Amino acid sequence: MNNTYIWLPLTLLLVIWYLTFSANRLDRLHHRAETSWANLDAILQRRAALALDIAHTGAVDPATGLLITAAAHQAREAEISERSEAESSLTQALLLLIEETDLNRRYPELFRELETITERLKIAISLHIEAVNAARSRRERLIYRIFRLAGHAPLPVKYAFEDDSLMEITR
Amino acid sequence: MKIGFVSPYAWDVPGGVQSHIRDLALHYRQLGHEVSVLAPASDDSEITDDFVVTAGRPVAIPYNGAVARVLFGPVAASRVRQWIGSGDFDVLHLHEPAIPSLSLLACSIAEGALVGTFHAAAPRQKVAFAIAPLLEPVIEKLRARIAVSEVARETLRIHLETDAVVIPNGISVASFAGVSPNPEWQKPLNIGFIGRFSEPRKGLDVLLEALPNIARVHPNFRLLIAGPGEGLEAMQKINPALRNRLVFLGRINDAEKASFLKSLDLYVAPNTGGESFGIILAEALASGVPIIASDIPAFRYLLEEGKYGQLFENENSEDLARKVIALLKDQKTRDEMSVSGVNYAQRFDWSQVGDEIMNVYLHALIPGEKVGLSSESRLWNRIFSREDE
Repeated sequence: MNNTYIWLPLTLLLVIWYLTFSANRLDRLHHRAETSWANLDAILQRRAALALDIAHTGAVDPATGLLITAAAHQAREAEISERSEAESSLTQALLLLIEETDLNRRYPELFRELETITERLKIAISLHIEAVNAARSRRERLIYRIFRLAGHAPLPVKYAFEDDSLMEITR
Repeated sequence: MKIGFVSPYAWDVPGGVQSHIRDLALHYRQLGHEVSVLAPASDDSEITDDFVVTAGRPVAIPYNGAVARVLFGPVAASRVRQWIGSGDFDVLHLHEPAIPSLSLLACSIAEGALVGTFHAAAPRQKVAFAIAPLLEPVIEKLRARIAVSEVARETLRIHLETDAVVIPNGISVASFAGVSPNPEWQKPLNIGFIGRFSEPRKGLDVLLEALPNIARVHPNFRLLIAGPGEGLEAMQKINPALRNRLVFLGRINDAEKASFLKSLDLYVAPNTGGESFGIILAEALASGVPIIASDIPAFRYLLEEGKYGQLFENENSEDLARKVIALLKDQKTRDEMSVSGVNYAQRFDWSQVGDEIMNVYLHALIPGEKVGLSSESRLWNRIFSREDE
């Protein structure tokens, strides 16, 4: 009988500790996803700016230039949920340039920068996907949903990603 | 940038992880970064590197088929807190954070730009699944994970369900390319082997079994064996007529290793498993030695499926003998392998590998933020602050 007086508060304390611990964990995961997104976003912005630079060199034929300029602007203005689609079409547009070897010879530094940015982009994307998946799978757990441990934090947005076409740019 | 490295293994014991950390730290220091390494040490007076902070004496535990000297416990944790709290680091680079040692402690105590490198490769193990739920809340704090090979990445994916960026181990290509061969170990035909040859997984037995066949075709070869261990036992296993072809050099240092590799006509890596990267293959490539290696996953990956070195079927001495005989006959192929190997080895140079790792640091960073103590360990510090004095 007396045991109840010890066990009940002890269990309650344990439950409270576990919930705080879990909420803390999720908070960290959200933070990680935000960091990786900020990083990814910065690199994508740099890529769009570089794409505009390349399109404006004057050496690009008008059709390709138009395509790249439009894709770069769309990528810059896209909402977060449409972002990966917009960025994919920019990747596709940039792929057109890779075949133009003459351009590559005349502006080697622009292309070297494009290669560096693409390398960094690959890492940033994989880190971001990893962070988003970790946060999302944690949020889906029953205990997190029952106790609403995510609070008001928005669900991290998945970034669908075109790995293969990026590979071609760096080749 | 101020970078803190944490080694899980004793600094005064030679090992792949320790030398990786030392080389990387020295490389970054040369580039003008500030570095500090926290590591266990059996004997503080043995530590000559001025950037190393010792955290206490390690204990020996069996891990992944070998004895690991690791460190944990409340005293070590308090040293870690102190080091992080006063370090003012931009990035904390934790090595092997999934084994019970300092890196795991540091990962649970710190908060901020944490990067983890996973070196080990392990087969699917039930025990790993048992400890995964305990590791997960700690490991998930890492903002970026690096695996040293596809094999290490796969291990991580199976056991901890998390992905990693693959960046290989580094070597200093110049220190292998520029040396001259040791005149004492000069020709006729030298086959080389380096490693703790008493460990069965290093595969010396596979090579010894191949010797009689090789000797039949190439009567004048020698087998140079370098590495710590007792040579007599290995001697007993082979035909007495072949014993005079074996030369045991004992443990060799880095400079000796470079000239040893330069003196070889062929390097054989008969390892039967447990290998995650195979740094010795990268070093042999940089020296321009042709390689024949077992087709274990790590070697297949490093040699790009046989493009930069020949592969033989693992644990098959007859296949090994065939490949060795054919390659020793073929000077032209050996010369070609030597040239393409030296070129390929650039990929493992610290200048390249260091840039790639720095790139990952930049991904983990938030400008202006420093690595600090997590809220739990700040509370702990307040309660037990006297202990930390």
